[in-house]
Amino acid sequence: MSNVLDRALDGAVSTYAVSTQGLTKRYGDEVALNAVDLRIPEGSVFVLLGANGAGKSTALKLLLNLERADSGVAEVFGLDTRRHGPRVRAQVGYVPERHDAGYRWMTCDRLLKHVAAYYPAWDQTYADRLIGALEIRRNRKIGGLSKGDTRRLQLLMALAHRPPLLVLDEPTDGLDPVVRKRVLTLLAEHLADSPTTVLITTHHIHEVENLADHVGILRAGRLVIQVPREELQRTVRRYRLDLPDQWEAPRDLVIPAPRSGRVREVQWTIVGDERAVTERLTTSGARVREVVSLPLEEAALAFLPDEGTR
Amino acid sequence: MSHPALHPPPRFANVVREQVRAVALALRVPAMAALAVLVLGSGLAIGEFITGGGAVDFAPELSMVPAFVGLLFPIGVWKGENRFGTSFLWLLPVDRRQHALAKVAAGWVCLMVTVLFFLVWLFVLSLVTGGNILGEHAVQLLPSTVIPEARTLDPAALRAVRYAPDPVFWLVPFTAATGTYLLTSAVTLGVRYPVRWIIGVPLSVLLVSALGAAARIDWLKLLASRLLRFVFDGRYGLDALFTARAESLKTAVVLTTGKTVSVWRAFPDVGDWALATTLWIGAGLAALMAAALRQREK
Repeated sequence: MSNVLDRALDGAVSTYAVSTQGLTKRYGDEVALNAVDLRIPEGSVFVLLGANGAGKSTALKLLLNLERADSGVAEVFGLDTRRHGPRVRAQVGYVPERHDAGYRWMTCDRLLKHVAAYYPAWDQTYADRLIGALEIRRNRKIGGLSKGDTRRLQLLMALAHRPPLLVLDEPTDGLDPVVRKRVLTLLAEHLADSPTTVLITTHHIHEVENLADHVGILRAGRLVIQVPREELQRTVRRYRLDLPDQWEAPRDLVIPAPRSGRVREVQWTIVGDERAVTERLTTSGARVREVVSLPLEEAALAFLPDEGTR
Repeated sequence: MSHPALHPPPRFANVVREQVRAVALALRVPAMAALAVLVLGSGLAIGEFITGGGAVDFAPELSMVPAFVGLLFPIGVWKGENRFGTSFLWLLPVDRRQHALAKVAAGWVCLMVTVLFFLVWLFVLSLVTGGNILGEHAVQLLPSTVIPEARTLDPAALRAVRYAPDPVFWLVPFTAATGTYLLTSAVTLGVRYPVRWIIGVPLSVLLVSALGAAARIDWLKLLASRLLRFVFDGRYGLDALFTARAESLKTAVVLTTGKTVSVWRAFPDVGDWALATTLWIGAGLAALMAAALRQREK
């Protein structure tokens, strides 16, 4: 299934901002990432989805060389992350999953000066604009910041040096709806102003629907799909069907919880080319009453555990 | 394949400069506390001088304060850094090992400024209280023919001499602080729980010594006590680093008159001090380099 979808990515893209081959990470007996081959086209907004513990944050840490992979290779703009960790981090604006912005005794203003010293490309005018837009209180101590304040400061630090790659791990986590909307607008403006590739993980898929142009889904450490968003939404459809008595599901069609029995109407989310799926269903005796395209969130849920039958 | 123009990483000199600023800021609270202690000390010394008490002589080599400051300094330098986790420091675009060493170097710069400030304070206090700014003072010297362990001593055996430390000994506070700072920095970088090791190792030796004494295992007691003496009071021991042996060369003797006096067995030797300092600082640097290996890039 994912191979069919992956072809679209391989065929269309020649340059990847991020690519990994067989990236594997274990914590003791637990496999956090299992032979992940991630490919993020340059200039794209790649949304990496998955349930809690699927390995999303681990993947991001490996890309920044904050953790050591057990096997496999990761490259960011052609730089091997293990050999060029500092150079890779110089290209990345990173918002970590944890709400920990830095030194608790520093003020926001001092921390920003501190971070600016590490990025020669730091754009102070832009930073000042972001301070206003994100309502950062310069004189507040880091230790006294709320979860939302910390997240806004982390976003500012990630954006202000206009990095070629933004790696955002749950960037809107802890933000109230108003700020969340403002952050997403800022992010959209940033993408319009600066040539940036974005790798973003989130549980609020609907928020990034307008930004996302590629989607990857991790399940139990495995990358089950990575595909352009349109391709995903084109390939994952909801079918309303009438099933005849003693209906048998076609063997080559992945049907969530196929049932036999008396005639009944069902709604299933099925992955595959619409024409081919419809043909297979019709041949098997099912009557396709309606085919509906899905929003990104629902299409993505088809690849997450226990979300197939709806 | 072509990629966008990549951003350069920061220059190492800029990193060290920024770390000096950050460390200085991290140490602001303990620095204020230390300043308060110095102000209090100044008040007491000047009060004593006004009421006819003794003056403060400028004898920087006799003060163990810089060595102890150096010992504790890494705690402040690494304040808030999760050295073995995802510390904020490691997120920045600098090689982890170099970054760790840059932070240690920044801490050392702050330490030297602190020691210099302390010496200037001591010097000014000596001037204000009319003390001897060259550190000259009269001492009682124990002739080498006299066994210091003798129970009582004839006062006639003692020689009164005027001792003026070699000016090179004014470097002792800087080197002592550097030595202890490097050693504790190495422990801080190399192990997860540095305080446990710093307290635990000498405590274990003392415990072994006490056990040896309690269980009447003479060789164990002797071994522990020799080890402690070698490390602390030996010719190239920690006292040589801390005070050029100004402490361990002094001893208390009971005179035949029944009076107990502090006497010197010998004067501090520049050669011994230089060698001891080289050894301890060398050991500190080697330990630091080894410890920094634990902080290399993943």
